[in-house]
Amino acid sequence: MPIYEALSDKLTVVLDVGSAYTKFGFSGEYAPRCIIRSEVRCKKTNTIRRIIDYENQKDLYDLLVDFVHVLYFKYALFSPKDKPIVVVESLLCPTLFRETLAKVLFEHYEISMLLMLPSHLVGLSTLGAETALVLDVGYFEAVAIPVCHGLPVIHAWQALPLGSQIIHNNLRALLNSDNTGINNLPESVIEDIKVRCCFVTKQKRAAQLSVAKPEITFAPEVKYPIGGSEIITVSGKVREKVYEILYDEDNDHLCLSTMLLDAITKVDIHLRNKLAENILLIGGTVMVPGFKARLKEELHKQLKHDRYKKLKISSFKFHTPPCKENYTAWLGGAIYGATELLSMKALTREKYFKENRLPDWPNMRDNFRTNN
Amino acid sequence: MAHVVGPEVVKYACTCGLLKSISSLYFCRYCCQLRCGFCVCHEVDSHFCGKCCENLPSSEARLKKNRCGNCYICPSCQQELSTRIGSKGPSNPEDPKSTPKKMYYLSCLYCRWSSRDVGIPDQSAATGGWPDRENVNANRLQEIIEMYKAMVLAEKQQKEKDKKKQRGKYLSYTDRTGVTAAALRKRIGLPVDIQHSLLKAKPKEPEPAIAKEDVEDLPEELLTKPVNLTEVTTIEQRLLQIDLQPTTVEKLFPVHKQLSIKRSLRCRSCEHNVSKPEYNPNSVKFKIQLFAYYHVPEIRIVTVEPLRAGRPSELIIKFTNPTQHQTTITILSLVLSGDENEVKEETGDQPSLPQEKQPPSLSSQPSSLLSLSSRQPSITIKPRPVSQEVNADVAIPSSKVILPPRDDAAEYDDSGDTHNIQDDPKLVVWRKSNKAFVKLLVTPKQGLALNTEIVAGFTMQHIYTNTIATTVENREPDKHDHNIRVFLTLGNLVGFD
Ligand SMILES: [Zn+2]
Ligand SMILES: [Zn+2]
Ligand SMILES: [Zn+2]
Ligand SMILES: [Zn+2]
Repeated sequence: MPIYEALSDKLTVVLDVGSAYTKFGFSGEYAPRCIIRSEVRCKKTNTIRRIIDYENQKDLYDLLVDFVHVLYFKYALFSPKDKPIVVVESLLCPTLFRETLAKVLFEHYEISMLLMLPSHLVGLSTLGAETALVLDVGYFEAVAIPVCHGLPVIHAWQALPLGSQIIHNNLRALLNSDNTGINNLPESVIEDIKVRCCFVTKQKRAAQLSVAKPEITFAPEVKYPIGGSEIITVSGKVREKVYEILYDEDNDHLCLSTMLLDAITKVDIHLRNKLAENILLIGGTVMVPGFKARLKEELHKQLKHDRYKKLKISSFKFHTPPCKENYTAWLGGAIYGATELLSMKALTREKYFKENRLPDWPNMRDNFRTNN
Repeated sequence: MAHVVGPEVVKYACTCGLLKSISSLYFCRYCCQLRCGFCVCHEVDSHFCGKCCENLPSSEARLKKNRCGNCYICPSCQQELSTRIGSKGPSNPEDPKSTPKKMYYLSCLYCRWSSRDVGIPDQSAATGGWPDRENVNANRLQEIIEMYKAMVLAEKQQKEKDKKKQRGKYLSYTDRTGVTAAALRKRIGLPVDIQHSLLKAKPKEPEPAIAKEDVEDLPEELLTKPVNLTEVTTIEQRLLQIDLQPTTVEKLFPVHKQLSIKRSLRCRSCEHNVSKPEYNPNSVKFKIQLFAYYHVPEIRIVTVEPLRAGRPSELIIKFTNPTQHQTTITILSLVLSGDENEVKEETGDQPSLPQEKQPPSLSSQPSSLLSLSSRQPSITIKPRPVSQEVNADVAIPSSKVILPPRDDAAEYDDSGDTHNIQDDPKLVVWRKSNKAFVKLLVTPKQGLALNTEIVAGFTMQHIYTNTIATTVENREPDKHDHNIRVFLTLGNLVGFD
């Protein structure tokens, strides 16, 4: 097959554009070449603009042109023209975004072929496994999708707006009560405070956070310097409390732990135990200390409720992928990108311009998407 | 050059529809069109290290993962690390007179980080030998990649077999990738707990990962030990070492410096280069530099009267002819829709795949195209409409302005004008060598608010003399009209009529 021969010596770029961070590298490699913020410097105003803040399709097109340029000419260091690319995308990726990205890659950068892979599915390949409950905690939302025998069970899909964005907002609000001037801090500083000071506390301690007279001593406070002159106080209570928002049940009694159990509930009864014993956590937010331990505690707590008793689950088991969680999905793309899948499934430039649409995935997505 | 021609008050509309200052535009001599960084094709020309200036062939750069083998950056602040000498006792301990052995370590002169901080032993050679760490999961990941390669290959072969046997129905069933809707619907809810047949068939399979019930607990010290922020890494520091992402500073290791590139730019219509740098990383010169600055008359604003809505203000602009040929400038009214120079009729919004387009003859572009034999012709993108709005009318003069060729010697000649040009005195107020000062009347539109920024525009038509002989017989310089839409930001409205 000529197409295969042409591919074999070519570098295949694997790209995972996240809302907050973009993972970029080459197929067959064990880690991305770079993980950078999904943002570009706007030439007109000379300010940093996030990709997700796009105003319309034209604006997004221009932002992505600049962003992809940086990826190729600062990190990949080769010309994108006539080369294939693998894009790992979230199931919740808006149609406008994926179509504009494809347009930028095909029209502006003249790539030869594009393979779009769903992140939940390919993330699983890092385990060499076929069945797991995949929870991706990203910037905007947490998404849980069971994957059975290599296929995502779309109708069991669950999502809640529980990502780093809500955690950053929560941290800003909590810091506000002890400090002044917090509202003006850029999100990157809030993120840095989160990453360097905060953690997910234990269930027992969390119960004490809302009590008037707690029986525990909170973790030591941190004096966090801002710009060399100011210091803000990150109290022990804030450090422990900021992630609690993931487990505060909303009006419908939904939170991170119920999401997983609801996803399991919607799957065929034979597969439920298998999913509970194969949980894969991906996304940068799950890397915070204490995340896994607490999630396990919370899952067991929810299991005692009537609505989940019928599940008859006895244990939850978690996978440890051979990589850091913030690039697990990318790594899955790099694994698939190293296979023949590209020559089998990729959308070629000729086909893209002939049909002027992306194949299949959105149609399938329309079948289950109700909101957004 | 931006500071010489800045501030950007005069902008030219590129063929693609974006507005740029003349210093960031290119002029393709083969298409006789303006090009800019947005509408040309960027290509990586050569790789080099910005610190040691070593040039690397692209294959070697790829092998080294685009990093210099000898230079390192600081894992703490990303500045370049310096190699420092730290002597370490006499080379022969029994003989105290023997010369001390030189040992080297890496040090950051900016944040004082040093390779000794993290316990990396000093090296006896100045040039590297610094230990590189392997990905701890490398073996497992290689196994998994091989497994998926084999699996997908088996599936592909199965498909081809099935295709031959005309058993199309089963195609989607073996589709492990989950990318087709049909396969998915069939699969959902199936209670089968069978191993994938392809997985079973394959020999020497790595075991699938086993999930564990025991998870790492929250480190107890986080609850009791005070945090020393200087010991906790930032996100940037973590993401510099992606496979490890160390949370504490004692796990930071020196990072190989990322290579830089030189880019060449290619016109997407004719595949000729508009810019190509010299290979040597120390050279800032170009082999090909078709900057618009050398081919298109430059316009500068000299003076403008205070702008009042509805009242004509006198605007004086300077035209400079950068070429070796005389040119004539005609000021035409602005047409905002479409491109003035567009010759071929492109319909529809979609770019056309130029199947019929032939690569340029190799005689006109010798070396660079030969190596790119596999290169596909570029896609033509329909230009977008200019987004800039104009809120002032320019009175279009009836006469033309002749600009003599550039003559560097004339710059030092004060003896007066040797060009005998009959100027329209209402239009040309002053001229010297290849420059002319031209008076125009601009009238800001009625009904604008005070302090509105006034932008006026016109189309500048100039005669471009093409010196590249297109055919062997035709040695006559090829002259033709070239239209450029020009936008002038004149300042703010100060009053009303
Ligand atoms: Zn352009
Ligand atoms: Zn170097
Ligand atoms: Zn440093
Ligand atoms: Zn051209």
